[in-house]
Amino acid sequence: MSKRHLLALFTDFDAAEKVVTELRNLGIKGFNAEKDMIVKSPIEHPEVEEFLGDRPVRVQWFTLFGAVGVGALLFLLVAAAQGSFFAQMKGGKPIVPFPPDFVLAYEFFILGGVYITVLGFLICAGLPARRSPLYSSKVSEDQIGILVQSEESASGTLKSIFTKHQALEIQEEAGK
Amino acid sequence: MKDIREDIAWAQINTDVLKSLENPRRLYWVILFVAIAMVGVAVGCEVYQYNMGLGVGNFDNPHMWGLYIASFIFWIGMSHSGTLLSAILHLMHADWRKPIYRFAEAMTTFSLMTAGLFVAVHLGRIWQIYFALPYPNMRQVWPNFQSPLLWDAMAIFTYLSSSILFLYIGMIPDLAICRDNMHSGWRRKLYTALSLGWEGTDRQWRNFRMTYLTIACFLIPLAVSVHSIVASDFGMSQQPGWHITSFPPYFVAGALYSGCAAIITLFIILRYVFKFEEYMTMPILKKIVRLTFAISMVWTYLVWVEYATAWFGHNPHDQHLLLEKATGTYAPFWWMMNFCASVVPLILVFKRFQTNIPVLFAVSLLLNLGMWLERWMIVAPTFADGYYPWTWDHNQWPSLVQWGIVFGSFGWFTMLFMIFCKIFPSVSMYEVKEMVYHRSLATKRLQATGELAAAGKGAH
Amino acid sequence: MSISTLFENYSEFRHRHPDGDVPHNPYKWAMAIDLDACSGCNACSVACYAENNLPVVGREKFAHGQVMHWMRIERYWDQDGREFPDRGARYLPMLCQQCEAAPCETVCPVGATNHTPDGLNSQIYNRCIGSRYCSSNCPYKVRYFNWWDYPSTDNVWPAEMNMQLNPDVTVRGKGVMEKCTFCIQRIRGAEIDAKTQGRLVRDGEIQTACMQACPTSAISFGNLVDPESKVHKQWRAQQVELDKHEQVKDEEPGGTDLRGYRIYEWLAPYPSIMYLERVRESEI
Repeated sequence: MSKRHLLALFTDFDAAEKVVTELRNLGIKGFNAEKDMIVKSPIEHPEVEEFLGDRPVRVQWFTLFGAVGVGALLFLLVAAAQGSFFAQMKGGKPIVPFPPDFVLAYEFFILGGVYITVLGFLICAGLPARRSPLYSSKVSEDQIGILVQSEESASGTLKSIFTKHQALEIQEEAGK
Repeated sequence: MKDIREDIAWAQINTDVLKSLENPRRLYWVILFVAIAMVGVAVGCEVYQYNMGLGVGNFDNPHMWGLYIASFIFWIGMSHSGTLLSAILHLMHADWRKPIYRFAEAMTTFSLMTAGLFVAVHLGRIWQIYFALPYPNMRQVWPNFQSPLLWDAMAIFTYLSSSILFLYIGMIPDLAICRDNMHSGWRRKLYTALSLGWEGTDRQWRNFRMTYLTIACFLIPLAVSVHSIVASDFGMSQQPGWHITSFPPYFVAGALYSGCAAIITLFIILRYVFKFEEYMTMPILKKIVRLTFAISMVWTYLVWVEYATAWFGHNPHDQHLLLEKATGTYAPFWWMMNFCASVVPLILVFKRFQTNIPVLFAVSLLLNLGMWLERWMIVAPTFADGYYPWTWDHNQWPSLVQWGIVFGSFGWFTMLFMIFCKIFPSVSMYEVKEMVYHRSLATKRLQATGELAAAGKGAH
Repeated sequence: MSISTLFENYSEFRHRHPDGDVPHNPYKWAMAIDLDACSGCNACSVACYAENNLPVVGREKFAHGQVMHWMRIERYWDQDGREFPDRGARYLPMLCQQCEAAPCETVCPVGATNHTPDGLNSQIYNRCIGSRYCSSNCPYKVRYFNWWDYPSTDNVWPAEMNMQLNPDVTVRGKGVMEKCTFCIQRIRGAEIDAKTQGRLVRDGEIQTACMQACPTSAISFGNLVDPESKVHKQWRAQQVELDKHEQVKDEEPGGTDLRGYRIYEWLAPYPSIMYLERVRESEI
């Protein structure tokens, strides 16, 4: 049986939290609370994560490797460039001087860090994302959306749960 | 004084801000046309200078640098506003930055773009500007990494690209709102492409929050280092009036000062033009004004440190230079600078003026005038009264070509900013919603615990 | 690759100069100018114009400060209330001091100015993008920028003057910095000749244009590390050492009777030109 999507819209985070808790605790057949549910909201809300359960954020690892790696690499590049074919004295300073190399390494550390963090963000958040089959512009305005995908058999149960918690709107994917 | 309503409907926030993206009134086109005309003046001057040589700028030996470098530093300085509001205040959890940081960040990006133009215009052989880039080539000729000007190039490149990325990433949820609400046409296509399919899922928000925080943490040392590096263009040289160790913090303080003053100017303009009174409230303006005053006092302290070290140090060249600044060729501008940048901000002490819009508008423009003059007064007097007595024999003033290009740069900045305001939301909708949400949560908590009256609600 | 070069030569790349480094070998070009002999005739300046294809800017631009003379004669008068104040000017020929630790070299963003192994400050015209940071940092202001489009500008070398241009010297285009090179074309010419003959350059074989034209032989030029050269003997007699920014002789009694000094020595650029003070009527 194929999975069908349902989108329910709620007016605030409390209602959404109650729904998610109930869905998780009930253990409905044909529906996996971990994988088949996505909560969408107009603003970030750390408590969403609390009631959804802990999911790690990996962006910082990108940042660490990117910053340190790119910084070190470009520092070596600069120092090596200074020692290359036309290595000529400038102003009596050593050919590979430390202060300018450290200033540049600092800048490249930040450059690498920012670029790789952005890359990490795009990868970890999965952007650019394919649009969901069901979407309401109210999600970007002021309502919380819960998108679930389930087997046909479970959709009735899900809808009743949504209605119980005063869903403002329930969208259903058209039959295939 | 009215602050933002905690019970404002989020849909209302969307509508109000999206209204600013509608087709502009006639006055907008008039002002945009004037800005483009100013850019035209600058382009004409530059074409003339390109063909004839830099001599048309009235440069000579020893007056090698002029308004181009002064304006370059001024625009880099102004760019620190966005970083201050976005990054520093974000780390300090100051939620009053939320309605205003978007246009401040835009200001950062466009200031940096304007500053980059001045680097190009200043060069004798602008067509070879790519020599300053570290690209591998057959002759293994690399730029000189010891040169502070080259550190500038690297730092500003980093700062510009990081600012653009930060502005863009921070705008993604808002672009999704625009995508969802704009009628079809080129706008809908643009927002759909730029919002990268954002739907506000928890996975997206989680990573978003971490990314924003991380980039903010990077941007603060970056901003400090960028302007310190620009200051080391002067600090690392030997010339009197430049070889001063306090230059890096002095320049950074001046940059924050400049940026805050520009924020006040743009705040007043945007508030009036787009009718953002609900979001850009008076309490926020008051906070910015007080912050500007604080920074102006820090700057005043640092400039007096510079004067004191010149006067009380035993270097006769520095003493001579300081006297020349106060009594020589450039004296009227030097005194005007000191007045505008140190005396004028004292008006901001008085509560009566801290929310008086006409006064604040005039004051913010005067403060920025003072800071522009300050940059010029760092560059010009050292050339006119440097070490070597043979060079003291004639005065030098910038020519109309130089003034024309400086004038046009303001038009360029205005043009970019105006185009930005009509394509992208200049108030961050999702952050305003967060601000309202968290404030209402805080009020509810106080109500619940019965501490509402004790907290004296209304004093933010 | 460059990275392996970096590691192999690391100790070489870390030397400072001139005080922490190996001495020059076999050449270090230096100069000594005797201000007592200098009569302020400007022959040296004119010779430099002729030798190095310097553009003649005209009266208006000269007054404006946009003159291109690589060697200039400065005139100084005492302000001691004498009866005829215009008399008794003192002349100082000022040219690029070819500093060993030149402030201009560090700050060029593209590396158009460097220090050669034989002790000259080189200016690479093709690389210069005209940022003018070098001149900003020069304490002597001896660097000259091509503010216009010389040599394409009108009347730079009026008719027949173009016949005397030196084919050994490149002309510099718009937006490029230039300065005295110690007549490097003559230096290199003599070095090549000497090399083909399997020997070193002898003292007196190279004459810079200014030195050649000077009627009072106030300028001497040569190899500072050659013990037989005139310049070396002059520096030694005056007890001026290249790699110090404060001379030992200035601390000792009687040391100031020696006339030799370097300008702005305390800024530690380690200039390669020693001036011999003019013998004065009165004490300063």
